[in-house]
Amino acid sequence: MDSPATARHGWRLPRHELAILLATAAVYVLTGWADPNHTYFANWAESRDIILRNTALLGIIALGSAVVIIAGGIDLSAGSMVAFSATTCALVLTLCAAPDDRRLVTVGPGGIAAAIAAALLAGLLVGTLHAWLITTIRLPPFVATLATLVGLRSFARALCLFVTKQRWGSESQQINVNTPFFVWLKEHNVWIMTATFIALALLTWLILSRTVLGRHLYALGGNEQAARLSGIRTDNVKWFAYCFGSLTAALAGIFLMADSSVAQPGNLARGYELNAIAAAVVGGCSLQGGAGTVPGTVLGALFLRVVIDAVSKLIKASADVYEGMIVGIIVALAVTCTQFGRFGQGGRSLFPGIRGLAAIPAIAIPLGLLATMAAANVDLLAGRTALFGGVVGAGVLVALAAVRHLQGRRGP
Amino acid sequence: MFRFASILGRLCIGTAAAVSLAALGCSDARKPADPVAAPTPRPAAEASRKPSRLIFVTNGDDPFWDACLSGLKEGERRFGCEAAGLTVSRDVNNGTAEGQIERLRQYATQDDIAGVAISVIQADNQSIVEEMRKLRSKGVKVITVDGDVNRDTFRDARSFYIGTDNVVGGRTLGTATRALLEARAAKEGGYVQFAGFTDNDNARSRMNGVKEAIGSAYAERDRMADEMDLPRARDNVRNATQNHKDLVALVGIWAYNAPAIADVVTESDTRDRYVVATFDAQDLAIGHMEKGNIDVMVVQNPFEMGVQTVRLLKGMIEQDEGVVAEMFPRSGQPDGDIFTTGLRVVVPDASSPVRADLFDPQVVEFMTLPDFKAWLATYHLTSS
Amino acid sequence: MTPIVSFRGVGKRFPGVTALDDVSFDLAPGDCHAICGENGAGKSTLMKLLSGVITDYEGQILVRGVPARFRDTRDAEAAGIAIIHQELNLVDQLSATANIFLGRERRTARGFLDDESMEREAARLLRELECPIDPRTSAGALRVGDRQLLEIAKALSLRSDVLIMDEPTSALTEGEVARLERVIARLRGRGVTILYISHKMNEVFQLADRITVLRDGRVVTTVERPATSPREITAWMVGREIADHDFRSRGPRGPKVLEVRRLTLPRPGRTQLNHLTDVSLELHAGEVLGIAGLMGAGRTELLEAIFGAAEPIWTGDILLDGSPVRFAHPAEAVAAGIAMVTEDRKRLGLFPDLDVAANVSLCGLHAAARGGLLSRSREDHLVEGMIRDIGVKTPGPHAAITSLSGGNQQKCILGRWLLTKPRILLLDDPTRGIDVGAKAELYQLIDRLCQDGLAVILTSSELPELLVLADRILVLAEGRITARFTHGEATEQKIVEAATGSQAPR
Repeated sequence: MDSPATARHGWRLPRHELAILLATAAVYVLTGWADPNHTYFANWAESRDIILRNTALLGIIALGSAVVIIAGGIDLSAGSMVAFSATTCALVLTLCAAPDDRRLVTVGPGGIAAAIAAALLAGLLVGTLHAWLITTIRLPPFVATLATLVGLRSFARALCLFVTKQRWGSESQQINVNTPFFVWLKEHNVWIMTATFIALALLTWLILSRTVLGRHLYALGGNEQAARLSGIRTDNVKWFAYCFGSLTAALAGIFLMADSSVAQPGNLARGYELNAIAAAVVGGCSLQGGAGTVPGTVLGALFLRVVIDAVSKLIKASADVYEGMIVGIIVALAVTCTQFGRFGQGGRSLFPGIRGLAAIPAIAIPLGLLATMAAANVDLLAGRTALFGGVVGAGVLVALAAVRHLQGRRGP
Repeated sequence: MFRFASILGRLCIGTAAAVSLAALGCSDARKPADPVAAPTPRPAAEASRKPSRLIFVTNGDDPFWDACLSGLKEGERRFGCEAAGLTVSRDVNNGTAEGQIERLRQYATQDDIAGVAISVIQADNQSIVEEMRKLRSKGVKVITVDGDVNRDTFRDARSFYIGTDNVVGGRTLGTATRALLEARAAKEGGYVQFAGFTDNDNARSRMNGVKEAIGSAYAERDRMADEMDLPRARDNVRNATQNHKDLVALVGIWAYNAPAIADVVTESDTRDRYVVATFDAQDLAIGHMEKGNIDVMVVQNPFEMGVQTVRLLKGMIEQDEGVVAEMFPRSGQPDGDIFTTGLRVVVPDASSPVRADLFDPQVVEFMTLPDFKAWLATYHLTSS
Repeated sequence: MTPIVSFRGVGKRFPGVTALDDVSFDLAPGDCHAICGENGAGKSTLMKLLSGVITDYEGQILVRGVPARFRDTRDAEAAGIAIIHQELNLVDQLSATANIFLGRERRTARGFLDDESMEREAARLLRELECPIDPRTSAGALRVGDRQLLEIAKALSLRSDVLIMDEPTSALTEGEVARLERVIARLRGRGVTILYISHKMNEVFQLADRITVLRDGRVVTTVERPATSPREITAWMVGREIADHDFRSRGPRGPKVLEVRRLTLPRPGRTQLNHLTDVSLELHAGEVLGIAGLMGAGRTELLEAIFGAAEPIWTGDILLDGSPVRFAHPAEAVAAGIAMVTEDRKRLGLFPDLDVAANVSLCGLHAAARGGLLSRSREDHLVEGMIRDIGVKTPGPHAAITSLSGGNQQKCILGRWLLTKPRILLLDDPTRGIDVGAKAELYQLIDRLCQDGLAVILTSSELPELLVLADRILVLAEGRITARFTHGEATEQKIVEAATGSQAPR
């Protein structure tokens, strides 16, 4: 049969992915143009390296998050898992190095292999723990992984203090890793991480769309009861999903440790889980489960990192102040867009009732403040920043009120 | 129809995001002295603008750096940066090594960076060092301020260091603490030192200095790290006072440790059991000393660090050998690349057992709290 | 006297199904009016119209002689009409008092919750209903009977004068049923009109003044209770044309494949009531065993116990080919050659995010995989073969499953199971919500599978279906088998009598 629909699972880019790709390109080009240094054009290679490295790191974690989300769960512990895996890796290196070697330069190939294996094993163990808590103890995934989110990091810190004390006689909250292998890994990390990310993405794609297990993951996320009644061992499928989630975070932990030459459990990768979940969601994963793709997640991670990077090109100093805001806006907008058609069509109003009325200043005031902050940097508006912000805020207020009014008139 | 609207919608958002970011950033496009360069959007390769930005990277977020920023502004004014086409800005790091690495990488992509001053968060961190080396290899001037790299292994990552001699700072605090303890007739006992990281270079040097000067009559029970987490800084003090019953002194190594210690000893009503000796003078710490909750502060001069940072970077960029030679007369000799900003010992009033003659007047300026506050006021500072 | 509620030519159509058609009857104030009808006759839809749950319908509803069109349940409540749902609408975490006053909380002069006054009122209402619970107990901790009274208390606090009770006794013990009957008598004493939906004849005849019989969405008749008998009512309920085609063209039945002996399944947490009590049956290859029974009679629980879909807490024996089995997970049952098409297709059967092919291939994926790796072409081949075989009408194997009609969705689920090549097929009400044409196709399919030697257990809410398909029919009532018929013996009348307990007083 020459069914035209066989392209279903191929590497075609459906409209969602295409839209993200276009938006990414638009942000890149516009930023390159608006940035007075034109860094994106002038220092193309270096910019590419930074974006690739960060995208790969975020993407590796996001792939794990996506699998868990597709299976109808959530993994909040990824950031702590990264820190835990980095710490495990560094501690095993510590134990394999000469007793007085605090820079860990004396570790042999066996020690390195053991350290990497231990970090990945830690991922498997944490994933198994999650699966057990969720399937047997029946904790909601949110609670189980919230527990490990706070628990793992503190466990890693305690472990770090304990092992360093035993080994070196004095406690240390962080372990510097200058092992030649990891230094080499760091020096080539753009391409190694990117290649790993691509390989992992391919593997994940293969699992999700070309294996029985993958189909069961979608089925589990789409309708858990029906999946169980279809004879799927849903608990085992969950086990895989959470192990995969933790394993990718563990892998990211090894890379992050190599990249920053230090395992610092206290604040390594704090908050990474949320960016990973955001990337998956921007990429089209539904938090209700059952929907999401690997290409979408990969592009979601890329888009997020390009935008964050673009902000640091434009704002120059202390750009990460704005990172959370940008990620928040992108996630809200991306998900809004997927359901944009519903507004206006079915008579669903954007600002219904008193609640809608209250939402208008809730949007206008932050925008006005943002405009004020932006105006502070523009010479032309010197001395009139508050006025400018006020005008923008009031403009938004009036515009939204007009939208509300028009929708109210059109509605029943 | 819906499909098309959806694609369009997403495109619009991408564009809107980029445009609004551009609005935030375009400011800088209009600032440069050279008015021709700004508006034309063309590849920067041919634009080849003169590097014009000096950046100061902190290790974390602390009021200590506000005084430094005031110093940077003062330096910008004093050394005529505007006329020379230089601007100075501060980049506040988030307290992690990754944060500094990421920032240094960003600078490496940007052509308009002329100089970077950094307070290195981990002296032994090879990744930070390598990013600094990369910047230097691109012709960017790199110095360290306040927190240096490990001088034995990574000295080549920066040209110069400006800051406190932390060992001397530690010794000064140790000497003062010892004087206070002896005045209280506490012949022996334990003490605990608190810092953000115990293996940060400046913390380690200070703590070693304190230990050396306080003498072997008193035992160091612990060095506690809070990773720049303020609630943890307080918890560390609580735990220390509960775990070690023989404590006679609490030593705060980083600026925010001072109010943390003072808060805990006042809340538990155990102020009179301990000598409280701290580094730096946050405005909170000044308030505590006024109320008698802190016995002595060894105050660095972040304001001066800021001023000297601008002076040095400007001199290096303009290849003004005179400035460099004046600041580093012993250049080429061991530790000749270190510029020490002075220390102040601040005591509540003249009745303190800590007296000026305990210290080397070349290095230490002895002040009472009212004198110190008067100095702050001259530069509109609230902390130092 | 003006009727308190009048239905005038009320109709309601769902896509492909006419749920109600030209329904007209009156409700006299203070009456207890029973509505009888088989599953799917339109009773629940009618009640949803009256209580404001469904708002778009044809015809008119008059309340106290005035046309009313409720926009939501609050509107209906304001008009004095309250419904006690089959699935009780209580917030488990809140106290009994809070549930009674939910959405209409009383406030003190300062705007704080006036717990004292609400608790006093709640205690009064509950006392009146013989409900011996503390108004501060959380609703989740209450037993079903008490929860129901709590809902009634809520309705009373609304000062409702029309109370709709939808199958109120389906989960009650006999003591609780007796209490409910006393409560109803007392409510009527206060002038409350009660609309009582049930298919249990003894209850209906004990309580109702008048009875309206619905069949296939139409009113068959409205009669005074003294003028009729349970037998007459059941005859009206089932009196529909039986499909003329006999879908039974089987050969001799094969060996016994499944036997259930004295299966007893307790309700978790309830000692007095079992889901199933002493159920025994045998199933042979090549036959269809029909199981009749009202909703809640234990049909689904029986199939789930066999299939390992519920906690295996039952006692008794299940023998597969003579050897005892106790499946703890459906996967084990599937491995043993059992398949089950669940009731409630949407909730328990369909994967709305997966396409038609993925929905069909789900259970038979291993046949399309080698070493865990799926071969797309083999999967498509498998699915296309099955789709053709069972006649699924779909634009293509990769169409969205949700774009198919209910009948074709159900065929896909059946196809999913046939790919596992089962020996025993459990069908739980497989034709619910499916149009007539698709039903006939499904019947033919089931018959064909039987001829090929499959053993089928079929439960159904529709008696004609069992009559045309089943070789033998068991009737379940309240978890017990109350009658066994062969194909020749069974009539709708007999089955309904056995299922409703109307053939003899209990």
